[in-house]
Amino acid sequence: MRFRTLAVVALATSVLVAGCSNGAPATNPSAGNNGAAKAGGGDITVALVTHAAPGDAFWDVVKSGAEAAGRQEGITVSYSGDPDPAKQSQLIDNAVAQKVQGIAVSMANPDGLKESIQKAIAAGVPVITVNSGLEKSREFGALTHVGQSEELAGEGAGAKFRSLGAKKLLCVIHEAGNIGLESRCSGAKKTFGQAENLQVDISNIADAQNTIKSKLLADPGIDGILTLNDGIAKAAVAAKKEARSAAKVATFDVSSDVTDAVLAGDISFAVDQQPYLQGYLPVVFFGLKVRNGNDVGGGQPVYSGPGYVTRDNAAQVKKFAAAGTR
Amino acid sequence: MTAASVTADERLVTPSWASRMMRRPEVGAAVAALIIFVFFSTTTDAFLSAGGAATWLESSAQFGIMAVAVALLMIGGEFDLSAGAMVGTTGLIVGVLATHLHVNLWVAVLVSLVAAALIGALNGWLVVRTRLPSFIVTLGTFFVLQGVNLAGTKLVTGQVSVQGFADVAGFYDARWAFGSSAQFGGFTLQISVVWWFLLTAAATWVLQRTRPGNWIFAVGGDENSARQVGVPVLRTKIGLFMTTALAAFLVGMLQLFKTSTVQASTGVGQEFIYIICAVVGGCLLTGGYGSAIGAALGALIYGMTLQGIVFAQWDNNWLKAFLGVMLLGAVLVNNWVRRRAEMRK
Amino acid sequence: MTASESNESDQVPAAPLPSGASVGEVSGPAAEAPKLPDAHECIIEVQNLGKSYGSIIALRDVSTTVNAGEVTCILGDNGAGKSTLIKILAGVLESSEGVFLVDGIARRMGGPRDALALGIATVYQDLAVVPLMPIWRNFFLGSEPTRGFGPTRRLDVTAMRRITRDELLKMGIDLRDVDQPIGTMSGGERQSVAIARAVYFGARVLILDEPTAALGVKQAGVVLRYIAQARDRGLGVVFITHNPHHAYPVGDRFLILKRGRSLGESEKKDISIEQLTTLMAGGDELDALARELRRA
Repeated sequence: MRFRTLAVVALATSVLVAGCSNGAPATNPSAGNNGAAKAGGGDITVALVTHAAPGDAFWDVVKSGAEAAGRQEGITVSYSGDPDPAKQSQLIDNAVAQKVQGIAVSMANPDGLKESIQKAIAAGVPVITVNSGLEKSREFGALTHVGQSEELAGEGAGAKFRSLGAKKLLCVIHEAGNIGLESRCSGAKKTFGQAENLQVDISNIADAQNTIKSKLLADPGIDGILTLNDGIAKAAVAAKKEARSAAKVATFDVSSDVTDAVLAGDISFAVDQQPYLQGYLPVVFFGLKVRNGNDVGGGQPVYSGPGYVTRDNAAQVKKFAAAGTR
Repeated sequence: MTAASVTADERLVTPSWASRMMRRPEVGAAVAALIIFVFFSTTTDAFLSAGGAATWLESSAQFGIMAVAVALLMIGGEFDLSAGAMVGTTGLIVGVLATHLHVNLWVAVLVSLVAAALIGALNGWLVVRTRLPSFIVTLGTFFVLQGVNLAGTKLVTGQVSVQGFADVAGFYDARWAFGSSAQFGGFTLQISVVWWFLLTAAATWVLQRTRPGNWIFAVGGDENSARQVGVPVLRTKIGLFMTTALAAFLVGMLQLFKTSTVQASTGVGQEFIYIICAVVGGCLLTGGYGSAIGAALGALIYGMTLQGIVFAQWDNNWLKAFLGVMLLGAVLVNNWVRRRAEMRK
Repeated sequence: MTASESNESDQVPAAPLPSGASVGEVSGPAAEAPKLPDAHECIIEVQNLGKSYGSIIALRDVSTTVNAGEVTCILGDNGAGKSTLIKILAGVLESSEGVFLVDGIARRMGGPRDALALGIATVYQDLAVVPLMPIWRNFFLGSEPTRGFGPTRRLDVTAMRRITRDELLKMGIDLRDVDQPIGTMSGGERQSVAIARAVYFGARVLILDEPTAALGVKQAGVVLRYIAQARDRGLGVVFITHNPHHAYPVGDRFLILKRGRSLGESEKKDISIEQLTTLMAGGDELDALARELRRA
């Protein structure tokens, strides 16, 4: 009987601990005293609250950028995220309650976050929006916006496909209902002219490969495939080979495997929204605001990209991609 | 001994061979599979082509390997919600060890195999000893694996996915076991399909013709009765959980060598698909009844439907809705066939 | 002896029962169980048996014997301690006091398998059958006969089906289809399958826990006939019931339990059915109740 209680307690504890990874702030201790931290004095803490689910490759790089900036500037960065706007609002409120000196927020669902953001600003905490929500950023009173929206990035990709001469575009969405991914595809559709979406599941890349292959077999007219994740990109390359299709593959998000594929000619280009900057810059801007009273951006957004990785610059990017910072 | 006079019970009628065949759990699934096959073959062009068939077969195989193992476990009366995450764990172990810690590929594969077996054994032991529902115990395991998959990968590699796996020494040799294929004219037979077939055959043999198979039915049908007559319940359940874990290892390897990558999120959420395939194939959620062939057919139905929808070029946003409708339909057909079989003589 | 699944040999002919009926090829308790003793020889004897759960005394000072070829009936109302007593006899529980002798040697049972090894088979009220499984699988559950060895070791399905049909035939049940799930059989039929199974696997003592409790008149009669057959085959039978009219025709000795204590043990020749009924129903209490209920 006692053993059973013990086992239940152990199980419950492990469930709690594992479950706490979603949304729990992970503090990064500042690198100590370096020269820049002297002016303004003391520890600065800022919060980065995103709409990412844990384990997302793109947002992982954003987090790395924020943490790196924190180390270099002597700023403590606390990171949290939740795809649900209601929960994300709570995380913003939490950060305000912890008296941080700046909150960077990604607004996938701007209206859902409006109240919390405005409360934060009213409490004297400067807010910088990152990644999504460019359109509402100024209206909500944010300092500036870092990054361009997924929609804009998608438009760039679509335009590039057109310049490559593709006629029919397939956009592969690997997480159903993800606002960012849907925006990328609708952006591509706008500039390309048309685009058909294909749903696959990121948790089963092997079957995604099968699904893309099926699509190519069913519709041989497809000559452009836009993927939104590096793992799916690899699957798309393999699928097009199996289906003996001549379609060109391009993707969002850079990784060392993607740069290898670009060098090999399997992937035509990779869209690099430079997520590292979307984490790095806000932290630096907050530091400047607190220590020097600077308002970076002058009310305008600060674009972090997109950069395009093509055969010309792939080799150089590969080094950085391998470090998880591109 | 007084010879008991035996009078034939006039209320009994010897059932015909045909109606006995119809009562088997897999017949309903076979009928449903046939319907779906005919449907997609006639409404699309590519479904029946060599390339198309190879695709939905491979899709079915990857679900099917897990579905068969999960079906065995369900017949034994338990659920394994950690099966999906375990597919990710096994792939990540090999991927991370081989690319970042430069461990020999075959050694990494062996480590992954042992890890899977241990986790499976732990699941089984916890379920029997704590007498908690396996739903709860394996849900806990699922969360732990999900967390470890992410945190462990980030800790060692700094990223959430494994990169550069195809460059690892020995990759192309190991691919023979997990990623090879054979060409028959225009038709590509992937090794995953071969594994699927072999596993289904082995599972059917064990269930129908061996002692452990009898124990599996008994333990799932009425655990107390089984214990009373001396069936080793603990060993049987641990064996079943180890089977799902080892099947997850196999699928993890197949996926790793096919895509030469694996992410921290691989496998998460797939566990319900395996259960659905087993149920479509005739397994009772309450245990004690079902078949491995049925589960294999259930996976075939799932794979055909998943890829068939793409072949048919229906609006892809409705994918999940279509999938749900077809699966419900398959279960209903299955039930209807079984009920007809029981009524007939 | 460990349980049947650790057996390496199969197709070992079991010891033939004294009645001459051969049990056939099987790997299981029958192959290793001790031989059936001569008629009327004592198999089980319990002396001053007691069982307490903390401060609750479930059983106190109970003594009885079970002899080969005889039926010992254990009677008592609900809550008398009958189920505790059979659990001790079946090896599920250990007694707190008293001695449990099998073949004259005091034993401590570690579990039901130890009892099975000594040839003590229990047919529970829930019958220990798996409803969804076919009859022939249920019959051999836990003691399945096999052919071959190593990875090709497989169930001897033909033998299992044949033996099941034959043994049930001997019990008077003709089943064309032993594939039918046992859950589709009637209560009495299921009892007889369970009894046939126990008998087949070389039980020396058969413990039947309230077999007639939920059955109709005809079905109860059928079960009593099987009990008689088992007795005539040389087995010792422990028949637990709360119905003296079922117990008396077939019993050789009667042990009556009331609130965990024994009200006495009587041989058949020393007690009549009326005396038995009165004892069971509470004797004086029943007279008092009858007076109370009489019309004023």
